[in-house]
Amino acid sequence: MQQNPTNTTCGVMEGKLPGKCAQMVFPYIPMQDMNPEVYPQGEALERGTLFPGLDLPFHVEMQKRAGKSGPAVELMALNFAIVELGLYLDTHKDDKEAFALYTNYVKLYQEGKEKYEKLYGPIEQMSTARLGSYSWLNDPWPWEYEGGTK
Amino acid sequence: MFVYEKKLQYPIRIKNTNPKLAAAIISQYGGPDGELGASLRYLSQRFSMPYPELKGLLTDIGTEELGHLEMVGTIVHQLTRNLTDEQIRTAGFDTYFVDHTTGVYPQFASGTPWTAATMQVTGDTIADLTEDLAAEQKARVTYDNILRLSDDPDVSDVIKFLRAREIVHFQRFGEGLRMAKERMNEKNVYYMNPSFDR
Repeated sequence: MQQNPTNTTCGVMEGKLPGKCAQMVFPYIPMQDMNPEVYPQGEALERGTLFPGLDLPFHVEMQKRAGKSGPAVELMALNFAIVELGLYLDTHKDDKEAFALYTNYVKLYQEGKEKYEKLYGPIEQMSTARLGSYSWLNDPWPWEYEGGTK
Repeated sequence: MFVYEKKLQYPIRIKNTNPKLAAAIISQYGGPDGELGASLRYLSQRFSMPYPELKGLLTDIGTEELGHLEMVGTIVHQLTRNLTDEQIRTAGFDTYFVDHTTGVYPQFASGTPWTAATMQVTGDTIADLTEDLAAEQKARVTYDNILRLSDDPDVSDVIKFLRAREIVHFQRFGEGLRMAKERMNEKNVYYMNPSFDR
């Protein structure tokens, strides 16, 4: 690829992208930069992304919903940061800072999950072995009105 | 393999029932650009992906979409709790009710059952990833339209989250395409399909 194509002509197989020539007949989405800015996990869950750079909301103004807090929501926020960083790392596996952040969130999630399960019941079926009874079946299930917002 | 986690990805607690809104939102469960098609598209396309980054990306996004399928089903379920006789006659919900009562069935808002004809697995890396970019945009539009229809903040709050995920997935699929091109290391990326021609 050539730099500054404004003064030069791109090759016969190439067309102009901002600042460079690139092969034609191929969609170009810029790679997100390494070590990108991130929201804290609670705000990330609220926004639907960990990355301010990918936060592009719809114009319809939404009322803030009250009462979205508590142990389940805190756990969801930690889990969400892990899911989001996992996708980022799939295309940026050499970003050491992002992997350190991922590692830290996994540690916090595992600690949080163990505490949550002791109080509110298992998230994984296997956890019942640690909890001492087969509480896997206990209501509410996540889709129910009373489920998953403790 | 897959293991169930007994929690949602995002909290859902919808105070007021609204069968008419449920009859529109069911489209993101089993509609043409819904979460069932999204998860099956990515989890099926991954078998013919040639590079580890793409196998991982399709597995991880496909898995997240299964969580979104559960979320959309949850919205429909909670919007149709304890309906009155009057509510089941709501225009737009009565035709759903006669076939499915208040069960959650994968269908378009227009009533067509979910169909694999809404998705493709070409076995070609570039064609599949380009379809995935379009799929994320189409799902984003459906969420935009649901936000235009919804006057319930408990519902819109969740839809807003799901919409934001489509944008992140679009970015990641775009990055996946770029990585595929670099891996193919060819001036002409159409010269061969790296998942088939050896």
